[in-house]
Amino acid sequence: MLKKRLIFTLLVDGDNFVLSRNFNLQKVGDINWLLDNYNFSNVSNFIDELVVLNIRNKKKNFNNFCKILKKITKKIFIPIAAGGGINSVSDVKKLLRSGADKIVLNSMILEENQELIKIYKYIGKQSIIGSLDVKLLNKTYFVYNNNKNINQSELSEIFDKKKLNYIGEIYLNSIDKDGTGQGYDFQMLKNIKKNEIPIILAGGVGNWRHLLSGLENKKINAAATANLLNFIGNGFENARNNLFDKCDLAKW
Amino acid sequence: MKKRVTIIDYGMGNILSVKNAIDYLGYKNQVTNDYKIIRNSELLILPGVGSFRDAMREIKKFEIDKAIKESVNKKGKILGICLGMQLLALSSVEDGNCKGIGLVPGKIVKLESIIKKKIPHIGFNSIKTDYFKGLFNGLEKNNFFYFVHSYFFLPQKTKQFKFSYCEYGKKFVSSYESSNICGTQFHPEKSQSNGLKLIKNFLK
Repeated sequence: MLKKRLIFTLLVDGDNFVLSRNFNLQKVGDINWLLDNYNFSNVSNFIDELVVLNIRNKKKNFNNFCKILKKITKKIFIPIAAGGGINSVSDVKKLLRSGADKIVLNSMILEENQELIKIYKYIGKQSIIGSLDVKLLNKTYFVYNNNKNINQSELSEIFDKKKLNYIGEIYLNSIDKDGTGQGYDFQMLKNIKKNEIPIILAGGVGNWRHLLSGLENKKINAAATANLLNFIGNGFENARNNLFDKCDLAKW
Repeated sequence: MKKRVTIIDYGMGNILSVKNAIDYLGYKNQVTNDYKIIRNSELLILPGVGSFRDAMREIKKFEIDKAIKESVNKKGKILGICLGMQLLALSSVEDGNCKGIGLVPGKIVKLESIIKKKIPHIGFNSIKTDYFKGLFNGLEKNNFFYFVHSYFFLPQKTKQFKFSYCEYGKKFVSSYESSNICGTQFHPEKSQSNGLKLIKNFLK
């Protein structure tokens, strides 16, 4: 039987891994910190998938991001999705040659341009995660376009209008809950009526019970957290052990 | 001495992830599209992510299909992963009908033609088999592997190959293996310690 997934998201800003709270960033440490102090290869034994996002000055930092990705992925054997700053098929190729298996697209899926179609034809929709950053304004959920700094469209519209032809999965991230540790925003899931592709829920996890609440939700296929510090040490090991008894995760 | 592994690179796929796993297992390896090197290799890995038709175009361009067949005829071993597993079949319905490398009797069809569930099939799923001697040696318990695909392999009747199966709405082939031709729909290089064990079994 197909299992639900526990996903860890690393946010990369220049040379550093950062914590994000409502999209405000705080430096935590560099690649050496991640590999040595954070003992990342051990952490990777207790998660089902890793997402690595290049989140600021994306164009300028793209090659540097690829270098960091190479170092992260050298000794871990789990699925890696990478994104942030992808503009073309050649960017996708660079990521695949740096240890990525899948890619994450953000503003591009909202704009639906020719490059998106080229990327889709090259890698296939099964390897494209569409990331939606969602914000609540006057009781309506909007999808925020980080590039243009605007609320691009209503979340419900994106699910209704078949804007999702070119992606295989959705990474649904709440900006309001991001980094707060208060738990996921389940209200936004009401906008999803047709549920044809897998959904990863993100934004708000403070502890393993929040992960459990995500994994128990019928609409959700994977629960993600980008909280670098809440699961430090053997945090993910403990979380996974707790989750095993209560919900369906894979074993190896 | 451990044999050298040739990872076939036709410009599509998660090449570095595959190489990382082979490095970790301590095998010397080369990433190449060179006809002569592939033809003379005893251990081949054919990775791949993306479109069947585009992949076959690149493979034909470098005569990789010919090189693989020559190696296999000399008892060279090959492991196809994900799209690589599909490419070794006779044909695919992806973007109309397209011929494959043709070493394994069967064709590639869409999951949505048989399954009414979320597609792609993404995540860790368990496999079912009663053959634990080849690829799955030592993997009798908790044999979860990572899948990410929208198409699957539909076999023709054959005695040459043993199959493992996976269930997602319906049962479909998750791997095939003969004495020297193997393929996995899942990604062993992305399946934690289980996947590394499987790759080790193949390389032995």
